[in-house]
Amino acid sequence: MPSLQITNLEKHYQSFHALKAISLDIEDGEFVVMVGPSGCGKSTLLRSIAGLETVDSGTITIKGRDVTHQEPSDRGVAMVFQNYALYPHMTVAQNMGFNLQIAGRPKAEISAAVERAAKILRITDHLHKFPKALSGGQKQRVAIGRAITRSPDVFLFDEPLSNLDAALRTQMRVELGRLHAELGTTMIYVTHDQVEAMTMADRIVVMRDGIIEQVGSPLDLYNRPANQFVAGFLGSPRMNFLSATVTAIADAAVTLKIDAIAASMTLSTDETSAGLAVGDVVRLGFRPETAHRNGGDGLTLPARVRVVESLGRETLVYADAGDIRSIDSESQDGFFAVHQSEQLRFDYDAPFDITVPADALYLFDASGKTRRYARRSA
Amino acid sequence: MSLKTSRNLRNAGLNGALLAPALTLVLVFVLLPAAITFVGSFFSFGITSSAWTWAGMGNYTRAFADPIFWVALKNNLIIIFGSILSQVGLGAIIAAILDRGIKRGTTAYRTIIFMPVVISSVAVSLIWMLIYDPNVGSLNALVKAIGLTPPKLGWLGDPSISIWMVLVTAAWANVGFQMVLILAGLQAIPRELYEAAALDGAKGLKAFWHITLPGIRNILIVGVLITTIGGLKVFDLIFVMTGGGPANATQVMGTYIYLQAFNLGNMGYANALSIILLLIALLMGVAQLKLSRRG
Amino acid sequence: MKRFRAVSIGLHLFVSVWALFVLAPVLWMVMAGFRNRLELFKDPLGLPTGLNFDAFVRAWNTGIANFILNSVFVTVISVILIVVTSGIAAYVLARSESKALKLIYVLIVASFAVPSQSVLVPLYQIISGAGLLNSLFAIVLPYAAYGIPFTTVLFYAFFLEFPRELEEAARLDGCSRLQVITRIVLPLSGSAIASAAIFQAVFIWNEFLLALLLLTDTSIKTLPLGMLNLRGQFSSDWPAIMAGVTIVTAPMLILFILAQRYFVRSLAGLGK
Repeated sequence: MPSLQITNLEKHYQSFHALKAISLDIEDGEFVVMVGPSGCGKSTLLRSIAGLETVDSGTITIKGRDVTHQEPSDRGVAMVFQNYALYPHMTVAQNMGFNLQIAGRPKAEISAAVERAAKILRITDHLHKFPKALSGGQKQRVAIGRAITRSPDVFLFDEPLSNLDAALRTQMRVELGRLHAELGTTMIYVTHDQVEAMTMADRIVVMRDGIIEQVGSPLDLYNRPANQFVAGFLGSPRMNFLSATVTAIADAAVTLKIDAIAASMTLSTDETSAGLAVGDVVRLGFRPETAHRNGGDGLTLPARVRVVESLGRETLVYADAGDIRSIDSESQDGFFAVHQSEQLRFDYDAPFDITVPADALYLFDASGKTRRYARRSA
Repeated sequence: MSLKTSRNLRNAGLNGALLAPALTLVLVFVLLPAAITFVGSFFSFGITSSAWTWAGMGNYTRAFADPIFWVALKNNLIIIFGSILSQVGLGAIIAAILDRGIKRGTTAYRTIIFMPVVISSVAVSLIWMLIYDPNVGSLNALVKAIGLTPPKLGWLGDPSISIWMVLVTAAWANVGFQMVLILAGLQAIPRELYEAAALDGAKGLKAFWHITLPGIRNILIVGVLITTIGGLKVFDLIFVMTGGGPANATQVMGTYIYLQAFNLGNMGYANALSIILLLIALLMGVAQLKLSRRG
Repeated sequence: MKRFRAVSIGLHLFVSVWALFVLAPVLWMVMAGFRNRLELFKDPLGLPTGLNFDAFVRAWNTGIANFILNSVFVTVISVILIVVTSGIAAYVLARSESKALKLIYVLIVASFAVPSQSVLVPLYQIISGAGLLNSLFAIVLPYAAYGIPFTTVLFYAFFLEFPRELEEAARLDGCSRLQVITRIVLPLSGSAIASAAIFQAVFIWNEFLLALLLLTDTSIKTLPLGMLNLRGQFSSDWPAIMAGVTIVTAPMLILFILAQRYFVRSLAGLGK
């Protein structure tokens, strides 16, 4: 039985339509990550599940109970906040035991639960301290500990690692993964960081403008994104996009023209060219790690090196292909990103002919929908 | 009823219970009396009489024909503008000096200069009445000591200067308040702004003009507003020091309303004067807010 | 460097002059209490010859002890009333989105513009009509009413800044709305409560006009009225008057010097 079921959830803030007919099923024990750009509704959705926001219509069911209009404390959920939200006037132990104290549990039970949670999170030495004496990472553990003592049916995380520095974030990611394996409780995690999503999730929910764009396992979404938005959202550096015009259509093949260059690709049996017409302006996409400069079959874009980022075990090259510009990129400068798994050096303006194998290309129609998926990933 | 509705009702109930005490007190003792004053200004009646006779605009026309009304208004304006200049002006200068001008002793200066603010206005009045006293007062002694002659009718007894002496006392009592207010605003300006300005070549007076003044603009507006409302409400100092005299020369709206209502028993007239005062207060408040928003 | 020094000295001088101007009257007040009328007449600016407490005794015997008690009672009760009612009202207003409640907030803020003088007449009539003239309880209510608008604004600004996540976490931890207020918001509102309490305490302790109006019976007069009484009783016996003023003013001054940080902090909050 799904441990969390959301059906047709609608929410408006005055005239702003924050959640549009959201429906989602989350299985027991799943680690689901909700990602999307700012304002997409992921936090609103999380807070609606928690009961901190009211919804206009639709239902939320947790372990079979309809909790849509229940108080937050009656839903069987616990939440870890981005800013930790630890009570400054209580010790760590009191923070963690507070919810049990409100519920009227006996002291012995409370301290046992607090000790257990502290052991799991390795903060036993800090139990008597006050929040302001703790570092960011320690505070986050206490916040998680507080959620653990509630023994919730669902854990909710609202961008919990955003306020930590990079090294700490990596460490906590691993910890949270370990925690999930140990506790086995359903966890819903909101973040804008796609690296967290890819590494931690059993399934990812990609949201934009109040709707769910796609739901699936990380690799599913990475390899088979449903539209250009999801394709560009997951994966760092981003997928390269460029404009092309359809020059010919057949049942199982599409031919395109990019500036003066011609390219053609075959479609497989589960893809269709229906709805595409000659002259349509479409988008091509290819991941930086599938491109190389060794020539050969596929799409070739003559370019020159502009920026090189050498990370030791890999190199990122940003190249300028002249009149052919990359579109919808993060930096808006029109360069193409190419990723090589080795240490390389390049001079500025050195020639770099970008070659993309035909079966590493994605095709998106004018509405953004994916028409053809790449067959290979590297 | 549904869970949603009962939850909403419970919330509304709690909200109401928490708001009620404050709201009731304000309604009964501030807003209701204000309304009654307004209505009563169109009638004439005495302190104990329950007979209210309609007077229409009579009380208001009486005010405009009443020379003491105009004296009172003039005195209020003198106090308002004099206070703005002396209290906000001096307060700002001293605050600026304490903020960046001098390094040591700022706490001591601040404590001493703020002291009069916590002294009761009655005490302040009495202290200064002694200072102004023609026989045993320190001011006369000081003036004589440097070879000048003090005013014949006394500092408070001379109609042409008494209001200015009250202004001096008011300044003594309140400069500290504005100083602390403005100092808080000055200290809230991030130091980095001054550092960036110094790199851009703006120091001293230029920094003051481009960084300090805009930074405390809002606080200055609040200070001026407080001084204005205070100037309209002034009562204690006048009542104790001069009683409105000599010969109504230092009468202000507050003391005149009190005089008309509780000494002379003209409640209706006092009400009309009260409404005029309230209107002026609202007008000046709104005008200042509008002016401040444009800047 | 030399020019810098000169400027610094000049500024010190400027502030010192004003500081001296502030101190002098206070010193004269204290010194006058220790002299007698003749001394004062002969040499107004002179120092007292000894610690002559005669004037202080005379002043004290006008019943200052009683006035102090009355003032303490009125101030404590009023401040508690103001802080509690304004605090809970401001909390509701700061957390609500409804237009009706925003209107109520504007109403309360607008009341701040109503000077107590403009409404002396009906205020007197309401209180005397309720038979509450000359009752200390009765003056507490109008004092509270006039202190609420300012204090509500202070708490409103404070609660707007108060981190909502703490309250949300508490709700998730099982607290009812009332428990959120008592167990989380209240314990963490110390600074705002202190600011409001100090500000109102000083204001009410020194309040004169309403007391003048509503407390005519000498036995329940507050200190400001008591001081006025001194003038009436001693007319030109300035040593006695000044001694009385010293007795009354000294505690507040000492309290201020010890706790001046808190006074200043409460004003700093006002600016916002």
